[in-house]
Amino acid sequence: MANQGRILGIGPTDNTSDQRTPRQRLRLIPEVARESFVPVVPARYAANPHEWDMTRTAPDRPRAAGVPIEVTGRVRTASGRAVAGALLEVWSANHFGRYRHIEDHSGLQLDENHLGLGRVLTDDAGRYRFWAISPGAYLARPDIGRWRPKHIHMSISGGSSRLITQMYFPGEPNNETDPMAILMGDAFERNLGIPRDAGDVDVEEAYDFDIVVGGRNATFFE
Amino acid sequence: MTDAASNLLPATNEDTCGPYFPIYFADPALEDLTRFDPGVVGAAAGTAIILRGRVLDRHGELANGAVLEFWQANANGIYRTPATEGHEGIDPWFHGYGRMRIASGAYEFRTILPGAAPGRAPNVTITIFSDGINRIVTQVFFDGQAGNDSDPVLQAVGDDAPKLIARHDGRTASGAEVYVFDIVMAGPGETPFFDDLES
Ligand SMILES: [Fe+2]
Repeated sequence: MANQGRILGIGPTDNTSDQRTPRQRLRLIPEVARESFVPVVPARYAANPHEWDMTRTAPDRPRAAGVPIEVTGRVRTASGRAVAGALLEVWSANHFGRYRHIEDHSGLQLDENHLGLGRVLTDDAGRYRFWAISPGAYLARPDIGRWRPKHIHMSISGGSSRLITQMYFPGEPNNETDPMAILMGDAFERNLGIPRDAGDVDVEEAYDFDIVVGGRNATFFE
Repeated sequence: MTDAASNLLPATNEDTCGPYFPIYFADPALEDLTRFDPGVVGAAAGTAIILRGRVLDRHGELANGAVLEFWQANANGIYRTPATEGHEGIDPWFHGYGRMRIASGAYEFRTILPGAAPGRAPNVTITIFSDGINRIVTQVFFDGQAGNDSDPVLQAVGDDAPKLIARHDGRTASGAEVYVFDIVMAGPGETPFFDDLES
């Protein structure tokens, strides 16, 4: 056990990171209070059965513009236990890099067939699957020409396992300049989807993205 | 626990939730823990409170679009975890987990005053996700509660303890006690945050 808490890194060229990252070293939690810092999320999730297919807004609607992809993987704790019955909340931009979020004022093109919102549950082995449109990159800092690389946001909640992360795509030119990716260093490769053959499924690309929920919280009540 | 601890799988990196955490994922039942679900008979035992305040950046601006998660014991001081399954002090109408996305950066969380867990003063753990950061964690305490003077977390932050204590601000017409707690993410008056990876 380290004897002092971390100092959090500030994402380079990220104004919001500069505004919101604590400057003080994080405090260590006294052992007697450690367990009180571990939320246990009740498994009372609402997920509509069609939300696994984010390539359309509803099962009877047309496909959105762009490249439909399948993403599959397993959710495990660092000790290898499958996180079963976990909720994955997934959100991503459309083919043009635009979120259908009321606060996205980028002016990029919307797509009437794309919501970019979905929720799925992991099965007993911790496996999940969803379809999405391969998201467009978007210009995050027009003043310096810095783009956010293609990415899919994911939030995982299952018991004491909790993680918010992003899946990136290998070989994208903007991966190297992304502020949060820079902070990850070499560990960034853990956040890359791994291309695989799509088989006879009705998508154009497929990726494996295994998720390991780390930290002490994930395994506290294992 | 670190990567050096041998046979552990390397963890997926945490990453920012960005500015566009979907409002679509909101669950009203997780923003008001005093009632189990709208329209259902069944309510948490204890004193209803409203915990409200602002989440501020290092320039004193509201941290719009942040996602807050709350975790607390029930009125008996019992956390609902696998370890307390079947405990007689469990409240069937209270799980203790709350979540909300705050569009403006100001928040208002309706819950019950947590009981004191053994050796602790009443508190609520708050996790903050937002654009620009991955995740930061703190605990809020309540002004005037017995046990604040001897709580190990408050003692651990020393002179910063007052920054973790919510101010009592009267009672609403419907009888909820109001507590005010501003969270300063960075800079002057920065709230103490805790390291749940290295602790
Ligand atoms: Fe994004």
